[in-house]
Amino acid sequence: MADRVPTGPAVARLARAMLAAAVILTGCRADRAAEEIETGEPQPGGTVVVGMRTDFSGFNPVTNTAVYTDEVMKYGLFTPLVQYDGDLNVVPYLAEGWELEGDTAVIFYLRQDVRWHDGQPVTAEDVKFTFDLAKDPATGSLIGSAFLTEVESATVIDDHTIRFDFVRPHAQALESFWWPPVPAHLLRGIPPAELRNAEYNRRPVGSGPYRFVEWRANDRLVIERNPDFPEGLGGPPYLDRIVFRIIPEPATLMTELVTGGIQVNIPLTPEQTAQIERSPEFDLFAFPGRTFYYIGWNTRRAPFTDARVRRAMTLAIDRQEIIDALLFGYGTEATGTIPPWHPLYPEDVVPLPYNPTQAGLLLDEAGFLDRDGDGIREDAQGRPFRFELLVSDAPLNRSVAEVVQNHLRRVGVDARIRVLEFQTLLIQHRARDFDAVLTSWVLDNFQVASSPIALFHSRWADVPQSTNRSGFANAEMDRLMEAGAAATDPREARRIWREFTVLLQEEQPFTFMFWLDELAASSRRVRNVVMDPRGELLSMPGWWLAGARRGG
Amino acid sequence: MAPYILRRLLGAVPLLLGVATIIFFVLNLAPGDPTAYFYSPGASPEVIEQLRRNFGLDEPLGVRYVRWLGAFLTGNFGYSFGHGRPVWDVIAEALPNTLMLTGLALIAVFVIGVIVGTFQAVRQNSVADASLSVVSLFFYSMPSFWLGLMLMLLFALKAHEWGWPIALPPTGMTSVDYEFLSTPEKIWDRIRHLILPVSTLTLVLAAGIARYTRGQMLEVIRQDYIRTARAKGLPERTVIARHALRNSLIPVITLLGLYLPFLFSGAVFVETIFSWPGMGRIIVTAIAQRDYPLVMATSFIFSAMVVLGSLIADVLYAVVDPRIRYD
Repeated sequence: MADRVPTGPAVARLARAMLAAAVILTGCRADRAAEEIETGEPQPGGTVVVGMRTDFSGFNPVTNTAVYTDEVMKYGLFTPLVQYDGDLNVVPYLAEGWELEGDTAVIFYLRQDVRWHDGQPVTAEDVKFTFDLAKDPATGSLIGSAFLTEVESATVIDDHTIRFDFVRPHAQALESFWWPPVPAHLLRGIPPAELRNAEYNRRPVGSGPYRFVEWRANDRLVIERNPDFPEGLGGPPYLDRIVFRIIPEPATLMTELVTGGIQVNIPLTPEQTAQIERSPEFDLFAFPGRTFYYIGWNTRRAPFTDARVRRAMTLAIDRQEIIDALLFGYGTEATGTIPPWHPLYPEDVVPLPYNPTQAGLLLDEAGFLDRDGDGIREDAQGRPFRFELLVSDAPLNRSVAEVVQNHLRRVGVDARIRVLEFQTLLIQHRARDFDAVLTSWVLDNFQVASSPIALFHSRWADVPQSTNRSGFANAEMDRLMEAGAAATDPREARRIWREFTVLLQEEQPFTFMFWLDELAASSRRVRNVVMDPRGELLSMPGWWLAGARRGG
Repeated sequence: MAPYILRRLLGAVPLLLGVATIIFFVLNLAPGDPTAYFYSPGASPEVIEQLRRNFGLDEPLGVRYVRWLGAFLTGNFGYSFGHGRPVWDVIAEALPNTLMLTGLALIAVFVIGVIVGTFQAVRQNSVADASLSVVSLFFYSMPSFWLGLMLMLLFALKAHEWGWPIALPPTGMTSVDYEFLSTPEKIWDRIRHLILPVSTLTLVLAAGIARYTRGQMLEVIRQDYIRTARAKGLPERTVIARHALRNSLIPVITLLGLYLPFLFSGAVFVETIFSWPGMGRIIVTAIAQRDYPLVMATSFIFSAMVVLGSLIADVLYAVVDPRIRYD
């Protein structure tokens, strides 16, 4: 999981809006001749160009922390031990099977036909090597901290069999292995602390359906079909090549899509969706994502020490209005850290409603009344209910903050917005030097326990710089999170996480705002494109291009 | 002349060191932490501390400064936090792209600016002069990112829509199938990609040069020696080209050095809009990520170029004006 980092420099929004408007007027008429392509058998060959806004970071699963780089590795260049199916069940991938030893260990049986792109076989030794690197604090690995905290050790049984022992029984144990191994024969000898700077990361030798060809910083990444990819995993891809081009400005990214320079556009901005929807040449992909926006209250600072006040804040903010007005409807109100599409999401727990009257009553109860008739509530000592809302300079965050300020004003609360550059905001947030922060959080796996424990467990509440930046501590919630993390029975897990979510609604250490939908577009010539919470690139091995020819 | 240049170059050394030192402290004292981009919040504080050690951020600022200075003086810019490779490699990849963009723009700025300005001065108060003044003021007052987007709108998007014979590519430096093209096709592909970004940089700055040249020419044309030249029966073309233009160019040339910073800062916007893989893009990301080694190196290179630019201007000054001597 990670804080969502704003991307790209902000170039005048007005100019951008002008171009966007022009693109909208043009888009529908462009390339009409390319229409009416028959659907049918997949055709081999061709190049698909994908436009993205941010550059990749090094292609090393152990050290990477960037989302799209991770997707290129998981679905293109490498072979994770397991993958997810569309219902988020864990399915075999590099591991063709497994055996759980009660709830204390798992043995994976690896496929024997997967090879590194230099011809060496992928073995259990590579998996153990990767595991050890990820667990080594010197690499600062995200795999280590986000996936493997509950896994103690790895033991190679034979070339294609490996056993992992768990620290303690934990739920969703197989999901700890959604990461690909790296080749031991190429990386052995590099000190773990130097791994981030390894030359390998710029010219990775993978094991996946696509092979690495070329990466030019801020310009493009080229990957090509791996003709030796085993049939058991779907065989070699149809496409000859995929080129990822880095185009930071959303408006120019859209121009490239409309003029045929790229075929897949990731991500779209909400205001660009209308044009895609109208166009016969493009498909719009809007799917629930892994990012939620929230207002984090400093639960150590009055008046946010009082759960009634925090709940009042949430009741006073019309979150659906924000989703409709600022996200063009591409978002869902959030109830907590479990996304609505997750199998463990408690369907029957509804988000706190927009109810300013109720909010007012709660504030009255907490002792905040408008004593001098100026429209702002005061406490018993006559101090006005005024606080500072920190927000980064990302346009969406600023707009959301302005709406929030407006809504709070209606219940007599004076929120002062302070816009900070993202890094500066993070420093204050991490130091717990704030009243309230409007920001966002990204889940990077589907294990429901990891985010709430990082954000709300009292064991982090007093640790300097920890992720429990609200300084929140609640013994009952600690108990529920621990029980949920350990519940290996899905029914039991569901019951616990429901209870947790209900309590979270009561406590509101955060005002959970909304889950952001991810938006993308692709030309209809590119077939078999599937996008869902697993990512934009998940169906990349199966993409094919209508009208393509091998070598074309 | 040679001793003068040498003296100026030597004088630039403490200047650049001073600049680099100021940048070092300003950068390191600004709030922010490079590890914020690379660690996962679930990581224990020990992991974060380890990352800081890997980046060499665990030491006091003074120690880091001395260490950085030592490495820097031997030409070692260190490793970029964000790119995970030597800073030199990152720059070696991006700098030529920026130099190509700004170099071509610089030439175009002066050629176009001087021609337009001279033409206007010769035809002072004509309709052509007035319209060119309007046009150049229009471009002069336009922000480069706006102009860039408008040019893209017209020559990439609309040209594509209206089926013009040449629709220019909106972004990038080469087409995706570049390596499969023949040599002439490759050259043409490069040129096509250069037209929009170079024009964007050129139009804004050429307008300024045109205004300036026009003013200078009008001044010079009123001088006695021009009247003399005309009086001795020289053709008007010679009077303008040999006597008037050369003299009015002297102050214009000093502008060359002063324009370099504008070109580089303009390049930051233009590179972003046209996704040109150059230094501007690198700097922007490096600052947001607090990639200290990379920010240090790039800002040092930009300041070195500005210093070099003003030196070149001074040298050219002496070349065009025989009265000026540097001893």
